[in-house]
Amino acid sequence: MVVALVVSAAVLLPVVFLIMQAVGVGRGDLSHLLLRNLTAHLVWNTISLTVVVTALCATVGTLAAWVTERTAVPGRRFWAVLVVIPLGIPDFVVSFGWRAIFPAFGGFWAAVLVMTLAVYPLVYLPVAASLRHADPAQEEVARSLGLGRLATFWRVTVGQARLAILGGSVLVALVVLAEFGAFEILGFNTLTTEIYTEFTVGFDQSAACAFSLILVVLGGLILFGEGAARGHGRSSRLGSGAARESRPLRLGRSTLPVLVGMGLLVGLALGVPVGSIIYLLIRGGTSTLPAASLAGAAGHTFMYAASAGLLATGAALPVALLSVRSPGRIVRLLERTNMLVLAVPSLVIALSFAYFTEHDLQGNFYQTTLLLVIAYAVMFFPMAVVAVRAAVARSPVGLEEVGHSLGVSRLAVFWRVTLPLIGPGLAAAFCLVFLESATELTATLVLHPTDSATLATQFWAYQTNLSYSQAAPYAGVMLLLAAVPSYVLGRWFDRQPGRLSAAQVTGPTPSSISPSTMVSL
Amino acid sequence: MKSLSVAGITKSFGGQAVLRGVDLVVEDGSFTAILGPSGSGKTTLLRIIAGFERPDTGVVRLGDEVVDDASDHWVRCEKRRIGFVPQEGALFPHLTVGRNVGFGLQRGGRHGRVGELLELVGLSGLERRYPHQLSGGQQQRVALARALAADPEIVLLDEPFSSLDASLRASVRADVHDVLRLAGTTAVLVTHDQDEALSMADHVAVLQAGLIGQIDTPTALYGRPRDAELARFLGEANLLNGIVRDGYVSTEFGELTMVTPEASGAQQAWAIGSPARVLIRPEQLQVEPVGGGPVAGVLRSYEYFGHDAVMRVQPDKADVLPELVIRVTGGDPMVPGSRVGLSVHGPVVAWPAPIAETAS
Repeated sequence: MVVALVVSAAVLLPVVFLIMQAVGVGRGDLSHLLLRNLTAHLVWNTISLTVVVTALCATVGTLAAWVTERTAVPGRRFWAVLVVIPLGIPDFVVSFGWRAIFPAFGGFWAAVLVMTLAVYPLVYLPVAASLRHADPAQEEVARSLGLGRLATFWRVTVGQARLAILGGSVLVALVVLAEFGAFEILGFNTLTTEIYTEFTVGFDQSAACAFSLILVVLGGLILFGEGAARGHGRSSRLGSGAARESRPLRLGRSTLPVLVGMGLLVGLALGVPVGSIIYLLIRGGTSTLPAASLAGAAGHTFMYAASAGLLATGAALPVALLSVRSPGRIVRLLERTNMLVLAVPSLVIALSFAYFTEHDLQGNFYQTTLLLVIAYAVMFFPMAVVAVRAAVARSPVGLEEVGHSLGVSRLAVFWRVTLPLIGPGLAAAFCLVFLESATELTATLVLHPTDSATLATQFWAYQTNLSYSQAAPYAGVMLLLAAVPSYVLGRWFDRQPGRLSAAQVTGPTPSSISPSTMVSL
Repeated sequence: MKSLSVAGITKSFGGQAVLRGVDLVVEDGSFTAILGPSGSGKTTLLRIIAGFERPDTGVVRLGDEVVDDASDHWVRCEKRRIGFVPQEGALFPHLTVGRNVGFGLQRGGRHGRVGELLELVGLSGLERRYPHQLSGGQQQRVALARALAADPEIVLLDEPFSSLDASLRASVRADVHDVLRLAGTTAVLVTHDQDEALSMADHVAVLQAGLIGQIDTPTALYGRPRDAELARFLGEANLLNGIVRDGYVSTEFGELTMVTPEASGAQQAWAIGSPARVLIRPEQLQVEPVGGGPVAGVLRSYEYFGHDAVMRVQPDKADVLPELVIRVTGGDPMVPGSRVGLSVHGPVVAWPAPIAETAS
C-alpha cells in the first residue's frame, strides 16, 4: 500500500510541478500569453487535427478489426498480424518516410494522413479484442429478428465494441495531442512544435509553460469526456458458460474490394515508411554509415529503454496488486490519477523535469542517464500498470489458496503458481515500456545526456539537416530494436482471455475496456 | 482420517455478522454436507476450517489437535493436511492435468500416485492435457484427484457442482461420492442444493443466518425437520393446522399418526387439545376417485415431469386449508379444473403451533 502510494506520488510530480510553474508566471502575463493570435492559431491547428485523425482512426480501426475478427477474408491471420505492426513504427519515422519520397509532402492533410496511418492500431487492437470476446450469439439473434447484415453490423457489432472504440479513440486523441516529431518534419505547427521552439530557441519558459498547460487541460478534457461517455453500459456477456467461437462471415462478391482495402491500408501504413527507409539505405550505400556511432547510439538506446522497462514494471507491480486484490475507493482514485499521466504529452513531462532540475536542484541531474530513465518510466507507467494488472487479474487468489491447501509453502506457491501466471504480463509490461522508450523522440531530445546520443536523437540531428540517407540507418535500427518487443507483445495479446477456459477466468476479467485496458495492446 | 469439530465460531466482515456461534462435529470417515441458502455463511465456515480465514472467536479442531483457537494458536493452511475442492475446480491453468494432480506431492513418488488417482476418478490417460481442454465435469474430477493426492485427513468441497449442467451434475456427483467412499476420507461439502446434500451426505447440517439450525441424517432431516421453516427449505411442504390428541393429530384430513422431532422441544409443551402445526409432504398426499378421501378440491395445475408429476389443488375449504401440492407418479395426465379427492398416508410431523397462528 505504502509502496503504491509512493509510486503514484512520484508519477504525478511533474504535473504538479508544471502547474506551480505556470502559476509562478503570474496571472497577468499568463493571460497575455494565452490571448495572442498565435495561440488561437495553434490551438485551432491542434484541435482540428486531433478531431479529424481520431474520427478517421475510429473508422479505419473498427473496420479492419471487423474484417480480421469476423469475416472469412483470405489470409485472415496474416492480415491480423500485418495490421498491428505500424504501431511499432514511431510516428516521426512514418512522416520521415513519406517526406523522403515526396519532398513536397506537408501541411494539414499530410499530418492527418500520417497520423491516421501511424496510430489506427490503437483503435484496431481493443476493438479486435472486444469482438473476440463478444458473444456471437448476439449477432445471430439480431439476424433472427430480421436485421440485415449491415444493420446487424451497425446495431450489434459496433454496439458490442462501443466501449473499445471509445477507449481506442481517446488514446488516439491523446497521442495526436502529444505528437511532436511528425509535425515538425511535415512543417505543420501545433502547440507541441511551438513549445519545443520556445524551449530550444527562445528559451521562453513562461510561454512553454502556458502552452503546456493548455495541452494538459485539453488532455484532461478528453479523459474526462471518455469517463462521461462510457456511462454504465456493459459490453460483457451475461450469464455463464463459454462463448462459442464465432463462425466467420463469408464475403462472397465483396472479397475483392475487402482485400484491396486491406492491401491499401497495409501498403500505406507499413509499406511506405519501411520501403522508403530500405530505399534510402540502398541508395546511400555503406559509405555514409558511421558504423561506430550507429552501434554506440543503439547501445545507449537499448540501455536506457531496458532500464526504463525494469523500473516501470517494478513500480507497476505493487500498484497492480493493490488495485486487483484489494479494490476500494482510495485505490480507484489512485488508479485514475495515475492514468492522468496519459493525458500529459511527453514533451511537457520532459520540460517539467528539465525546469525542475534547473530550478530546484541547481542544474544537477539535468541531462543525466538517471533522469532520462526516470522520465521514461513516469511517461509509460500507466501502460506498465495496465499490462501487469491484466496478468494479476488472471492469477486469482483462489489458485494460491488451493496451492497452500495442498501443503505447499508460500514461497513455493508464489514460484510455481503466481509467477508463471503473471510472468507473461510482466514481460509484456517490460516490452511495452522498452518499445515506447526506444522509439521515443521528444523527451529524449530534451533530456538525453549530451555525450551519449541515442538512435532517435542521431536520427533527428541528420533529419533536421535534411541528410535523409544518413538518418535512414538510425531509423532502420530503431525499427529492428522495436521488432522483438512488438513480436512478444503480439504473442501476449493473442493469449489474452477470450480463449481461456472458465477455470482460468474465475478472477475478475477485464471485460470493461477502458483506455487503460487498451494501451495494453 | 480425522474427525473435525468446530465450536462457538463467530465471524463478521465489516460489522456484518456472518457466523454467529457455529458448533459442528464431523465424525471420522463420515460425509457431512453443510446446506444453506446463499448468504448463510457456509463458504466462510468452510474457509475457516481450511485455514484461509480466521474466526473472530471459537475453536477449530482436526482430530485431537486444535488448529485455530481464534487467538495466538493457528496452524497455517498448508500444514493442516486438508484437501480443498473449490467452486469451478480452480485448476492451475498453466499446468497439465498430471502436474495439477501432483502439485502437492514430493517429486519422487509423484508419477505412480498421479496415475493411481486419475484412474480413481476415471480419467486415466489425460495426464498431458491442459485444463482448458477438459469438460467442466472432467475439470471437477481432476480437482478432486488433486485434493486427494497427498492423502489428506479431510476433504473440503465448496459448491463443487454448481457450475455444471444439470444433466452432468448428477453423474459427477455420483462419481465424486463413490471416489470419496473408496478413499474413505472424511469429507465436508458446502452446498445450497437440497438434492445434492440429501443424496450425497451421511449427515446434513443446515446453516441458517450464521447458525446451525439442525444436523441430522438426510432421512431424519427431511422426515422430521425441527421447524416449519426448515421443512420448507428442504423441499415442498404443505403446512396445516391441527389439534393434538393422544398419539395422533386431528386435522381436516382426519386423525393422522403423529411423530414429533426430538429437537423441537415439543414433548414438554405437548398437551392434549393444544394446537399444532402439521407438515404433509407432497408425496404423502394421495389422489382418490371423485367423492373419495376426506378433502375435496379443484385441480389448478398439472405439471408432468416424466418420472413423476406435481399437482396443485385448491381445496373447497379454502378458509382453513392452503393450496395443496401433491406429487404423484406419472400416469395419465389430469385436466385442470377437474374435481379430485385427497387423503394422507403415513405418519405426519407436528410441532406446537406458535401463539399467533393459533389465533387465526
